[in-house]
Formats: sequence, structure tokens, C-alpha cells
Amino acid sequence: MSETVPKPDELVQIDYRPPVRDWMHTPVQFRRGTFCYAAAPKNLKYLEMPNPRDWQPMDEDWKLPENWREIILEGMRERLEKFRSFRLFMDICVRCGACADKCHFYIGSGDPKNMPVLRAELLRSVYRRYFTLAGRLAPKLAGARDLTVDVLKEWFYYFYQCTECRRCSVFCPYGIDTAEVTMLARELLNLVGCNINWAIEPVANCFRTGNHLGVQPHGFKDSIEFAVDELEDLTGVRVEVPIMKKGAEVLFIMPSADYFASPHYYTLLGYLLLFHHVGLDYTVSAYASEGGNFGLFTSHEMIKRLNDKMYREARRLKVKYLIGGECGHMWRVIHQYMDTMNGPADFLEVPVSPVTGTRFEHAASTKMIHICEFTADLIRHGKLKLDPSRNDHWKVTFHDSCNPARAMGLLEEPRYILRNVARHFYEMPENTIREQTFCCGSGSGLGTDENLEMRLRGGLPRANAVKYVRDRFGVNLLTCICAIDKATLPPLLDYWVPGVEVAGVHELVGNALVMEGEKPRTTDLRGQPLASIQPPEVTHA
Amino acid sequence: MDPGPPLIAVSAAEREAVVGRWLARVLATYPEQTSRFLAREPDRFRNPVGHALREGLPLLFDEVSGAFDVARIEGVLDEIMHIRAVQDFRASEAVGFIFFLKPILREILAASGATLEALDRRIDQLALVAFDLYMKCREKVAEIRVNEARQRLFVLEKAAGRRM
Amino acid sequence: MHVLPALITVLLLVAAGYAAGRIEALRFFFGAVVPLAAVAVFLGGIAWRVLRWAASPVPFRIPTTCGQQRSLPWLKHARLDNPATGWGVLGRMALEVLLFRSLFRNTKAELHAGPKLVYSEEKWLWLAALAFHWSFLIVFLRHLRFFMEPVPAFVLALQNLDGFFQIGAPVLYWSGVIILVALLYLLARRLWDPQIRYVSLFTDYFALMLLLGLVSSGLLMRYFTKVDIVAVKQLAVGLITLSPVVPAAVSPLVFVHLFLLSVLLAYFPFSKLVHMPGVFLSPTRNLANNNRARRHVNPWNYPVKVHTYEEWEEEFRDKIVAAGLPLDKE
Repeated sequence: MSETVPKPDELVQIDYRPPVRDWMHTPVQFRRGTFCYAAAPKNLKYLEMPNPRDWQPMDEDWKLPENWREIILEGMRERLEKFRSFRLFMDICVRCGACADKCHFYIGSGDPKNMPVLRAELLRSVYRRYFTLAGRLAPKLAGARDLTVDVLKEWFYYFYQCTECRRCSVFCPYGIDTAEVTMLARELLNLVGCNINWAIEPVANCFRTGNHLGVQPHGFKDSIEFAVDELEDLTGVRVEVPIMKKGAEVLFIMPSADYFASPHYYTLLGYLLLFHHVGLDYTVSAYASEGGNFGLFTSHEMIKRLNDKMYREARRLKVKYLIGGECGHMWRVIHQYMDTMNGPADFLEVPVSPVTGTRFEHAASTKMIHICEFTADLIRHGKLKLDPSRNDHWKVTFHDSCNPARAMGLLEEPRYILRNVARHFYEMPENTIREQTFCCGSGSGLGTDENLEMRLRGGLPRANAVKYVRDRFGVNLLTCICAIDKATLPPLLDYWVPGVEVAGVHELVGNALVMEGEKPRTTDLRGQPLASIQPPEVTHA
Repeated sequence: MDPGPPLIAVSAAEREAVVGRWLARVLATYPEQTSRFLAREPDRFRNPVGHALREGLPLLFDEVSGAFDVARIEGVLDEIMHIRAVQDFRASEAVGFIFFLKPILREILAASGATLEALDRRIDQLALVAFDLYMKCREKVAEIRVNEARQRLFVLEKAAGRRM
Repeated sequence: MHVLPALITVLLLVAAGYAAGRIEALRFFFGAVVPLAAVAVFLGGIAWRVLRWAASPVPFRIPTTCGQQRSLPWLKHARLDNPATGWGVLGRMALEVLLFRSLFRNTKAELHAGPKLVYSEEKWLWLAALAFHWSFLIVFLRHLRFFMEPVPAFVLALQNLDGFFQIGAPVLYWSGVIILVALLYLLARRLWDPQIRYVSLFTDYFALMLLLGLVSSGLLMRYFTKVDIVAVKQLAVGLITLSPVVPAAVSPLVFVHLFLLSVLLAYFPFSKLVHMPGVFLSPTRNLANNNRARRHVNPWNYPVKVHTYEEWEEEFRDKIVAAGLPLDKE
């Protein structure tokens, strides 16, 4: 679609189809609303990352280092030797197309380069040109192409248009994982300073202060205290939240959004009530004050640099094990990277629930369990006093967050909790949940404001499934266990499916928990009066 | 405009022909490989864009040739405009697909003179409704932007309010 | 846009094979040297590929999980789709390699617009892929009767099974029909489906057309123009015992078949066809999801720059004190 304004009669008859051109030779156009802004130089400088400078993706000149091509190719060579996944995924794709329509960005935008196979081919075509015999000898026949500035721009555009959700990987007969390809492609882009601020700024903040928002110790304490005060107003119960208490049994780490953003904050209230309810001896830290890890969206090295704080703080505080809050990509890091990168955690103990005595053998090495695992076990053993009718104003569905679903398999724990704390629970259609869940469209550092249109497109498949349960069952609450979901699904649903709110699983736990010494609960944790809220009319679709 | 009696009698075959051609032209506003996907994938969850158009366009045509109930039209158009408002279209392109209907009606329907003129007027009307909805969507996007920024610092804002 | 070059290339290869069969001076070269060299390239190439993959370590354990994890004992664990043990992985790989589990996954399309029942394309892809690979294996095994004397019992049994319905003379082997239909479907799909056509490269068409040429020449010889089986067997046994002979009775069509096979073998390790050994090494499929139970070691794990607690405390000392939080170093 060209940039000139068409004449009215053209609008009536034009066929907007672009000329059929080889994808390798269709350069990318940066249109506002569909890409993220470049990383600010101060953040790159602080992190000692290459090529800090002022630039933006729509600029003609990206101010690349003179030898940028050598840097990228050398980076590729190094990674081909370090990652079997990389070499294998570059070699074995047969382009069967099974992944083509599995990507939420492809479904929502229709841009063919959003087909996972083609996203990876952007990189493969260059791999073939410089690293395979066939590509060196007969580039045309081998599907190889030179690495040019246009190709680099294309990489930037499309690898920052993949949320690393791994949905395509579920359908690939060889398990080719576009998330892995995207992660490595972003590492390469980072080598020449092509990165996005929405990923790099949280990284810089997190490295310095311990959390994405750059909240410093006193701010952390204020937020927690504020939550404690609020809880007392709401429930009449004053909970205690020990900050950096040495010798506590458990170090609890949550995504920073939980103590800063809405609706995350209500999930925090839920955690605090839960811990108080079972008398857990725990502590939180202003140093390891971030569960999330935007290093995952930057480079493997950066994952390790940021993740370091968790074990380091657990060791310093002499806790026995860790519990992690509701966050999606945080759990990919904890489950698949932490122990390998910063372990072994031999100074900790195998997690044992002090309430039920359950030994969490599946976390015997990493020594960190998911809050949903902890809570599901409590409910199973009848250790929680619950009044699910306090969630009667919600008709609930559950959105599987990509990483817990496809990089962990945490599917049933949250469902078990929900069925016990709420009385109206409805699943979205089968091919949109569990391992086939659709991404919110804003993961992997893309949840930024300038990228909103692209996010709304990418989130359409998810919103569409929500719409189905809203119209069919009157669902008015989507629950999830991911901080990015909680930040980006409310706008998404507001646009596509107005009337559906977003909440964390532990917010509903908090609503349902009958606390000792509580005053009669007239409101939920959001302060909404319990009685007056009615679920919307059911309209059958 | 109040719903009125049907403007023109349309046979089932004519309806199918008009709607089919209209859908094809709207899908052609997307890149080739996209339009084939939108046209062919039947699952509404894997192909929400195609589904919205496939369901919506016939209903819109029924209104143009039939009672022209603006409330119903808005219901149908709303879903389509929500999609087009966040795709790579300018306002004129996002709404322009309504006008595709004019030449198609001339090609297929056995109508002439006054009826055609009346149909054209309705199509213009339809386009205006579409434009209103488009603008509403864009305003919604702007509003979402603002809200989102506020939600991110929710606790800070709330805490500040409490301490004052 | 890559279709025509691929077709022309394959036709040229057919012509070359046929010509070689007719030109006395080339018969030994194409009947003995080329096939043996091709086998050598195939074996060497595959070994080189696999060793090269194996040479790159698996730094992280990154299985794609497609079912419930093994966590709490009372939750039903998806042993095959999210294996937690080596046996589970074996099961998952077996499903993947033998039944193409992942391709099958997407057959569920319950809600269709309109009353029409539309078959989902993915199901056909799964079926065609499965049909092609299995019949290729059967055809390959049946061919052992040319290379072995006496013919092993399992080959005879397979042959009987394959020709079970005893249709026609010579007996029609189902594998031959199925492989042809499957290949034609896979090719048609590539041409007809705009998504797939858009992503297809020369090599995608070339591989399919080469296989089609190979299969068609074989079918042609079995059912239409008779070839001297005894001579073919002599040739085959000669090749396998590395004492090649090319009897005069071997017809040019056999040369076409043999040459296309040789090209396929030699091309195999350098093309996408290496997915065959590659699938076994895929780290998203062949690793158990027991990440938190057992530590995975990264051989090149290196120390990185971190922000230690001591540095952090130093940097925010005033604020920590002001907030009344404990300090490590007073």
C-alpha cells in the first residue's frame, strides 16, 4: 500500500494486491504503530552494550559500525558452534508450512513474513549464503542471499515482531522453535546496537536497582506498606510483610508490576493474604525485587546477568528455598535457564511446604516453586478456608500464558485453584488454550505504547476466543498468571471485547480466603461492593 | 433513518453473487497470500479476520437491499471496523471497501434508474456509518494508550492520593 | 517461480541417465562408479552433518512442553507430550518419528462457519507426509531383494503384504501407488496453496520432483516396459559387494532410475532432506522436561558481569537507611 492518497474512484476498483515479488527482495517499510523505538544510548552505555547512539528505526541511516557485517557473521559463526538448536534449526526446516497460520501476528496482521517459517528464513537465507557450500556456490538455487542493510532492517522489524511464544514450535514436526531463532537473532542485532528501548530500559533498571521500573529500596518498601494498609482497610486484618529478613524459610519473588501496576496489584494483595492465612515464614527483597527478566528478550548473557540476583539474595538471606509469583517469561527463565546459568543451588534445600509437608520433588535441584504449585497443594490438603461465593460476581475464564504453558507445562495447577475459589469457570475453545494458547500479542518486550496497533492485531486471536466465552457464557473476567498479560490484556480486551476484566489467579484466591479475625467482607480486593455487582446478561452467540 | 420496507427484491442467486464478489474484492485489499488465507481458513478462531468479513458482508448487503436498520448495521460493521482500524490502512482505505458494492450491484442486480440511485444513497450512508465507527475505534486506541500508561503506575498514583 | 528451474533440472538428469544407458562408453561409469560414489557421499555427508550438529553443545534444556508437567502427584501428568523421564522422551520421539505427532496435532477444527464440512488442510498434510515416508521405507526394503541372495524372509513377507490384494500381473504393490499419490499431493499443495508457494524455494520443488522422477521410473519399469530382472540383480549384487559389473541386458531406463537415486543420495546431506537424522537431535523434542528436578550443565557457561548485593547496598545506602531497612555493612 503506497503512501500517496488514492483518488476516490481508485478506491472503488483498485486491487490492492502488491505485485507478486520474491519475499527475499521485498524490503520492509516502517509504519508508525507497528514497531518499537530504539534503545536510548544511556541504557546501552550503562549496560556496556555495543554501539550506543541516537537513532530510530524509521531513519534511513542506522549508524551501524563500519564493520557491522563482519560482526554479525562472526556472531553467527560463534552461535552456530555454541547452540546445537541454532545449527539444527537452520538446517532441517523443510518448509512444510504447518506453522504458517499458527502465529498470532500472522493471523491478526496477514503479513506473510509473520509466518514462522518465513521469519526464520530471514535468518536462514543469510546462513546459507555464508555457512553452507550450496549457498556459497549457487546462492539463487540454494535460497541464499547477501547480508545487506535492508536485510538487517528486515531482521529488526520481524524479530521484534515475534513474542517468543513458542506456539509454532508445538506444531512443527521437528520442533523448530521460533522463539529460539528470535532470541539468537536478537543477540545478533544487539551486537551492532539494534535493540528496542522497551526491552533495554527495563534491563538497565533491573541491573541497577533490582527491578524493571527502577524502584529504589524506599519506594519498594512504600509500595509494600501501602498494600498492607489497603488490606487492613479492606479486610480488617493487618498482615506482616518482612522485607529482607535473614533466616526466613522462604524468599518470595514476584514481578515488580505486582507492587506497582494495576490489575497486578490485586494479585499482590492475594499473595499477602494467603501467606498470612497459612502463617508462612517468608521474606521479600528490595534487591531481588524483580521476578521478570527482560534479558530473555535481549541475550543469553543478559538473562544470566539479571537472574543472578535471585540465588545471590537467597544465599545472603539464608532462606531454605524460593517461591515465585505469577509471571510468564520469569518462569521460562527459572524453569529452563536459572539452574544451568547460576546454579547449582546446593546452599538451598528441596522445597517442602511447611503447611502440608509436601516435598516438591520436581523442584529438587532448582529449589524454586511456582506460587500456583504451592497454593494448589494447600487447597488439595484442605488447608485454606475458602468462600468461593465471594467471587460470584465474576464469571471466570483462564488464559494460559505462553511460557508456563509451552516451556513448563503448568496447566492444571491454576485451573485447580480457580475451580476451588470461584464457582463460575468456563474454558475458552480447545485450540486456543493449554499448549495451543494464543499469546497476548505483547510479550518479549513488545508491550509498548508506540507498538499498540501491532499489539492489537497480534492479540486478536486471543481476544476472539475471549469474545466467544463472553457471548456464550457471560464471562466477565479473564484470569492469567503473567505480569505482561495483566498489563496488556486489559487494553486488548477493552478494544476487542469490552466488558471483560483481567485478574491474576491469586486475586481470586484473596477474595475467597476467609481470614481469621476479618471484618465482614463487603467488597472484593478491588474495593467493588460484592453484592451489587451482577454478571452481564448472557447472549448466545 | 428509520427502517423501511425492502428497497429491491433480490433472488438468492443474486445475493450470493453480490456477496461473493464483494467479499473477494475486500479480501483483495490484503496481500495475495494473506487474502487466500483469509478466504480459505474456516475456523473462526484461527481466522478471525476472514470470519468477521464472511459473516458480516452478507448481513450488510441484506440491509442495503432491505430494511436498512441502522442499529443492526452498526452491530455488524462494528466488528469489521475494529479490525480494519488497526490494520495497515489509512482511513480512506479502511472505509473504502463499502464503495466496492456500487459497481458490483450494477453488474449483477437487475435494477435501474431510481432504484440504483436509492441503493447508491444507502451505500453512501453505510460508508458514513463505517467512518463514524472507524473514528470511534481510533479514539478508543488513543484512550487505551492513556489508560495503559496510568495503569502502569497505578500504585504510585494511588499511594500519592492516600498520603495527601 | 522456482518450479520451472527445478523441473528442467530433473528432466535434464533424466535425459543424462537415459543417454548414459545408451552410450556404451558411459555405462560402466554411470552404472557402477556414480552409484558407489553417491553412496559414499551420502554416508560421508550424513556422518559429517550429524557430527557437526553433535559438535555444537546443547547449552540449555529447552523442551517445548505440550501437556501437563509432572509436579504434584495428584495432577495427571502428560507423560508423552511433556515427558519427565528418558522413557517418556523415548515415547515422545517414537510418536514424533513414527507417527508425526506434531503434524497431527492440528486436525481439530471444530467450529466452521456455515453448515459446510471443510477438511482441514493440516490433516491432509499429515496424512500425505506419513503416507510418503512409510511407503518410501517399504519400497526401500522391498528393493533389498535385488541386493541380497537369498532374499531375506522379512523382505518376502513384506512383499506379500504389500501385494496382498493380488491385483494385476505383475502384482500391484500398494506402496508404489501410495508414494506416487502422496508425492503428487505434496507437490500440488506447494503449487496451489499461496502460503506454501510463497515460502517454497528451488530445493523444495527439486527434492519433490527428483523423488517423483525416481518413483515414476521405477513404476514404469515394473508395470509397463519390462526390464531384465536377472541383469538388474547382477548389477545390484555387484554394487553391494563392491565388485561392480554392468551386464549388457540392463536397459537405459534402469540407468535413469539409478542415476536419479544417485543424485538423491549425493544431494541428501547437503539439503533440507537432512531433517531425517536431524529430527532425532532436536532439543525441543528430545529432552525431558525435568528442568527443576535435575540440573542441566552448559559446557561453556562463563562468568558474567553482575550487580552484587554489596555494590547495590553501597549505591543505595542512604535510601536503605532512610527506609529503615536492614544493612549488611553498617
